[in-house]
Amino acid sequence: MSLKAAHPMPDSLLLQARGGDRQAFAALVRAHQGSVFSIGLRMLTRRDQAEDLAQDVFLQLYRKLDSIESLEHLGFWLRRVASNLAIDRLRRLPYSATQPLEETAEVAAQEPESDPLMTRELARLLGELPPQPRAVMVLRYQEDRDVAEIGAMLDMPVNTVKSHIKRSLTALRGRMVGARLIDCEELP
Amino acid sequence: MTDKFPGNFEGELRRALRPVNAPDGFTERLMSALPADAKPVTVRATRIAPRAWSHRFAMPAALAASLLLAVLLGQQVSMENERRAEQRGREASLKLMQALRVTSQKLDLVYEAVNSPPAAGDEENRS
Repeated sequence: MSLKAAHPMPDSLLLQARGGDRQAFAALVRAHQGSVFSIGLRMLTRRDQAEDLAQDVFLQLYRKLDSIESLEHLGFWLRRVASNLAIDRLRRLPYSATQPLEETAEVAAQEPESDPLMTRELARLLGELPPQPRAVMVLRYQEDRDVAEIGAMLDMPVNTVKSHIKRSLTALRGRMVGARLIDCEELP
Repeated sequence: MTDKFPGNFEGELRRALRPVNAPDGFTERLMSALPADAKPVTVRATRIAPRAWSHRFAMPAALAASLLLAVLLGQQVSMENERRAEQRGREASLKLMQALRVTSQKLDLVYEAVNSPPAAGDEENRS
């Protein structure tokens, strides 16, 4: 299972899916499921809830395929819906249901040049941020979106996005220092 | 203490937040949850059937007729009030003329009585 499509997808795939071709729709899902599932996992911190969210996002996509204009628009739409759906669910869930689980850390362990302990702790601390800043950080550092696009996805002014990023980075650094995983001198 | 990301905290964050694979069988479970025979919903503009001429103009025509009727009735009421006022004026004028005529007759009688010579019996009685 690859995170991204091996070949660039043709727009015809989208047209076929819009025409009712289920195989074409399945191909679109395979191309984007990693991104959508990851947003769900970082936001909700639980694999079962992340999969449930991703299923909901793609079911919504199936009903709204006619409003998708291009593959680029598709990527934007999926991230936007996944992020906002996750924020809504976090606001409804009791606090205890959103606590980070160990399973989140498995992600970081696959990166050879990084410290598993460090990445696990970073992922865990991200899960302690409030819903909106968490979504901003996920879209910025996981999905590599720029601040303007993040603002459009979350209906948020660009300056608010920048503010969330700055404050979240400061908070995460502070907690890493608190957890004695980095030295105070390393802070810029 | 570790020295893992001096000055590259954001890079470390990117590594920690790498996208992950969806669980095995995700697509298959999703496809089985899709409606079996339904195509994606196509939104089409609904064509509104043109209404018959009589239906289309019935309401404006009724409004115009009501307005015209109200204006005509108003005019009629106004003319009737005016006619009654004139009638009352004429009656008042006639009464005034009658009163003046009666007064004039009475004054004539008084004038004649004052200016007529006195009778003989009257002079004797005075002396």
